[in-house]
Amino acid sequence: MDIPLFSYRSILTMLHGLGAGGGGLLALFAALFALLTMRTDGHPDAAVERRSRNLRWLIVLAAVLVWGAVIGGTYIVFPPYRATPPEGLTDLTAYPRSLLTSNPETDWLHSFAMETKEHVPWISAMLATAAAFVATRYRSRILSDRTINRMTSALLAICFALAAYAALLGTFVNKVAPLE
Amino acid sequence: MAGREPEGAMADGAALAASLAAGIGAFGLGLVVFLNELGVFEVPALYGPAGGVTGRTAAGVVIWLVAWAVLHSRWKDRRMESSGVFGLSLVLIALGVVLTFPPLWHLF
Repeated sequence: MDIPLFSYRSILTMLHGLGAGGGGLLALFAALFALLTMRTDGHPDAAVERRSRNLRWLIVLAAVLVWGAVIGGTYIVFPPYRATPPEGLTDLTAYPRSLLTSNPETDWLHSFAMETKEHVPWISAMLATAAAFVATRYRSRILSDRTINRMTSALLAICFALAAYAALLGTFVNKVAPLE
Repeated sequence: MAGREPEGAMADGAALAASLAAGIGAFGLGLVVFLNELGVFEVPALYGPAGGVTGRTAAGVVIWLVAWAVLHSRWKDRRMESSGVFGLSLVLIALGVVLTFPPLWHLF
């Protein structure tokens, strides 16, 4: 009998967590690193303007990936997670939320971790969008204008922290009650 | 705050509008979640299988986008002192995150 390596639901979870979420975190970190280490004082020359334009696309990519993780997580991955099991079912493996809440030791993974994951990433997505807007509108100045650079860096740093926090909680949830 | 020459750092209004709108959106989402959890009102689900989170987050997104549209239309052509507006943005973001913190809901 052929046993699939990954189920359809676990592939969706991986696309959400590793693809969009992990990719978004990488892009956010890379953009933040570039903003902080490549900034320059004075009038930007052609090389700085070229780097600024490239950095703009990285920040836009980060925002797109964060939104992908947020929308995919809420509308595609979350419904099977919270599905209600049939009456009398004893094996709750296919119903992660019920599996977590059935055990007092794992209940916090739903009541705290998943409840947090439901909302905090949306704030992260708003911040990523604001940073992408600033980086696009002021693309030639994000490395040379100190105020614009600091503002974008702060938005991305908070965005990264919130997204990483949500990702960590998601890892805990998926470790104990994976969508299979 | 706008339209005068302050001593602090200056920034373009459109950038400040985007950051303050993100703060308002974060706070709005947090407030909607908090009041929903306290039973003050219940936001209907936008997509049944995903439950009430879809309605709460959609409300937060609407608050964010409306705030952004209004602020952008008013500030886009201005140069403004940045620290006050950006500081307010950070405070609102922090409040929004705190309001979505599940242990807080159980204190009330």
